[in-house]
Amino acid sequence: MPQEVNRRTFLKGITLGAFGLGSVVAVGNLLEILTFPNGQKVALAKMVILADKSICSGCRVCEIVCANFNSGGRNSPSLSRIIMEKEIMGGDYQPKVCHQCADPPCLKVCPVTALQVDKQRGTYARIIDERACIGCQKCVEACKQYFRPSRPRYDAQKRRSVKCHLCFGDPQCVKYCPLGVLRVEKSDKGLMVGYPIIQED
Amino acid sequence: MKPQGGWVGKILRVDLTSGKISEQSTYDYVPKFMGGRGLGAKICWDEVPPEVGAFDPENRLILATGPLQGTLAPTSGRFMVLGKAPQTGPVESFCRSGVGGHFAPELKWAGYDAVIIQGKAPKPVYLWITDHKAEILDAARLWGLDTYQTQQMIWKLHGPKTRVMVIGRAGETKSRIACILTDTGDASGQGGFGGVMGSKNLKAIAVRGTGTVNVARPKDLMEITHHIQKLFSRKSLRSDPYQPEEKNFKYNIWGGEYGRGSLSLLPGELLDLCNNPSSGYSQTPDGCFACPVSCRSRVKGPDITPGVAFCAQSYMYLESMVHQPEKGYSKVTWQAAKLCDLYGINAYDLMAIIPWLSDCFREKLIKEEEVGLPMKEIGSWDFIHKLLHKMANREGIGDLLAEGGQRAAAKLGGKAEKLSRMYYPRAGKFAGYREHWVYLGGFPTGYAVPQLALMWVLDNRDALVSHSYISALWGAAFTVGQNALTAVPEKIIPVLKPVMKAAYGSAEAAEFVRPDGKNLNWKWAAPVVKRYHEHSLLKDCYVLCDILFPFLFNANTPDHVGDLTLESRIFSAVTGMEMKVEDSYKIGEMINTLERALAARDGRTRKDDNLYDIYFEKEDAGGRKYKREDLERAKSDYYRLMGWDVKTGTPTGPTLEKLGLKEVAEGLEKRGLIK
Repeated sequence: MPQEVNRRTFLKGITLGAFGLGSVVAVGNLLEILTFPNGQKVALAKMVILADKSICSGCRVCEIVCANFNSGGRNSPSLSRIIMEKEIMGGDYQPKVCHQCADPPCLKVCPVTALQVDKQRGTYARIIDERACIGCQKCVEACKQYFRPSRPRYDAQKRRSVKCHLCFGDPQCVKYCPLGVLRVEKSDKGLMVGYPIIQED
Repeated sequence: MKPQGGWVGKILRVDLTSGKISEQSTYDYVPKFMGGRGLGAKICWDEVPPEVGAFDPENRLILATGPLQGTLAPTSGRFMVLGKAPQTGPVESFCRSGVGGHFAPELKWAGYDAVIIQGKAPKPVYLWITDHKAEILDAARLWGLDTYQTQQMIWKLHGPKTRVMVIGRAGETKSRIACILTDTGDASGQGGFGGVMGSKNLKAIAVRGTGTVNVARPKDLMEITHHIQKLFSRKSLRSDPYQPEEKNFKYNIWGGEYGRGSLSLLPGELLDLCNNPSSGYSQTPDGCFACPVSCRSRVKGPDITPGVAFCAQSYMYLESMVHQPEKGYSKVTWQAAKLCDLYGINAYDLMAIIPWLSDCFREKLIKEEEVGLPMKEIGSWDFIHKLLHKMANREGIGDLLAEGGQRAAAKLGGKAEKLSRMYYPRAGKFAGYREHWVYLGGFPTGYAVPQLALMWVLDNRDALVSHSYISALWGAAFTVGQNALTAVPEKIIPVLKPVMKAAYGSAEAAEFVRPDGKNLNWKWAAPVVKRYHEHSLLKDCYVLCDILFPFLFNANTPDHVGDLTLESRIFSAVTGMEMKVEDSYKIGEMINTLERALAARDGRTRKDDNLYDIYFEKEDAGGRKYKREDLERAKSDYYRLMGWDVKTGTPTGPTLEKLGLKEVAEGLEKRGLIK
């Protein structure tokens, strides 16, 4: 177990040898691990939502189904983990999805390890453990450094942050999108997506 | 006991005269009056007596959402605008107008089920509503701007996620056919409520909400939503967003022949440009909030006004297609419709005004130099932009036309008035509305259907005959390989039978033509129209989409039977209050009677439920005619079914009391309208 693995990344159960900086190595059917120059190691997400904004109709079903499903029937786009950004006159509708970053800024700043990698469901999504979250909103701030609007959001009523967790492997926004703008990309090897590959959007 | 979900519980009341803003509980009215049209009718009954004119400060402008707005419920982006309508004429009376888009959910998230606006501001103002508070703000710098510019100014001030209901120049000059517009094309047109807003010196209503709407049974709502999505649409092909990925699937709009993106129905210059990827023009499907289909097109290009295309805008300036037949639906057609939106004029009424003007010119009733319009050039950009400019600013002939087509025609009188009857079917004191797509009496083309005539005489605006009942007829027509205008009744009736049995209780209801083929069958007119009214009242109270609900005709099953339980199932899931279909029809009946009582209080009687003579004179394509005595008999049947007085058409005391409208009965009694 290499010393530089930060406990916050919560990679318990993965015991691998030391890797070279910036290298990607696959060991058996274990997850690929990416090591960054700062020594951060996070298992890559095996699943991610992609959006093809060119045919988006801006109906906001994705937002509202997310809130309905994940916030116990509280229908509100301010609780949804996918965010519709619209430029009405220009006719530019963009569903902003959580990229499940390879090097997630949100995960690194969490002071209480509430942000974890969802290995239980096999999606390896970056999720927030509601029981552990203290509502400090550091993840919201961290994401905002790279992506606007910030993908983790603050649920003021419950005083916790919420973020996309891929709905336990069956993203409801993808299922309910009437046009097929959203789709799921899966890979057992893990996907190199989000930060640092996408620096901002 | 308060419902567990749906309504957010507060109604915002704004008195523009005093600047006082107050709140009241929605539960004073709901769940009895549901929301939308029912809620608005009740408020109008309580607060807008017949003495109040549409442009009086005491008139109420009511923006009413229903229990489903702001939730996942499919097509829940809609809400209703209600009040005393300036367009209804010659007597102004209660009317409603539905709006789609994204304003309604924003209002619910801001914490209000409805907004009641009364009084008149001393100077131009706009209303800013956000998370449980509202402010009246100065609109001196917005007054005079077009609808797009106003919205852009407000977005700069309050953020781009703000949704705005705004009037243009036509509303400011109190045109009786001014609309209230939101985003790039969704508008509350019928009724002329833009003029009401203008009379109150209110330029815009801006809303931004970050709150929540609770749903009682979120899992049930997701199930029913998924079910409805599967009924109406499929995901799009990646190569062509207008085609469903599942082969042979038909989007269930108007029986299956229409679907995603309305511009694709309009061949011509603009569509060609949009289909050419290198042209810089494009069209993409555009949806109202939570819509499973997205029937509209979002169109943009380097030298056109961007915006959303759907029926009103698409068909407003058909003359341009006659003027330049080689171009078809051209940039001029599009720009004319968009100019209409920028000025905030109701495009539906222009669809009557322009051909009527053309008729008058042909009959030499108006002269070019008199009206100051290039009448020979009808169909050109020159003509339409001059006409719209005059109408919006009330200059010259525009001043007359801004009163609405039917009022303008009545003022000219004589032959000009007679010519206008071609476009405005309802006679009597409560007319003023143009035909809504479906031609009555079989002309200029099409077939006479008794149900449609009865719908037209009974409604308090244009009967929305292009939706609901007619969707089944059109669906059947498409099924036998014909279109809405060419279908032969004998061919579509067999297809209709199971559909009508499910919807109206009897397969016989499908036979709108007698077996001899020579006469119309009026037997089922009254019961079908009663159920049709219940359907449309309920849809406007939950506030769901006109096009998708009620779901009568399924284009994708062999028997084509729709599902009428969808609306009440959504309602049950959202509010947690179990609603049976049969019970919901009783609510529809009650609100229908309430609306009739409102009209009766304004002076409407059986005499006002009538059509002009020409509708009884012409034959339809099958050689059949409406007969006046048949219509009168059907009216009596309808009044009897509803429990209204057959002589006057006014709801009777016992009926009102049975429906739980005791205060309405007392009000009518006080005015001597019932004994």
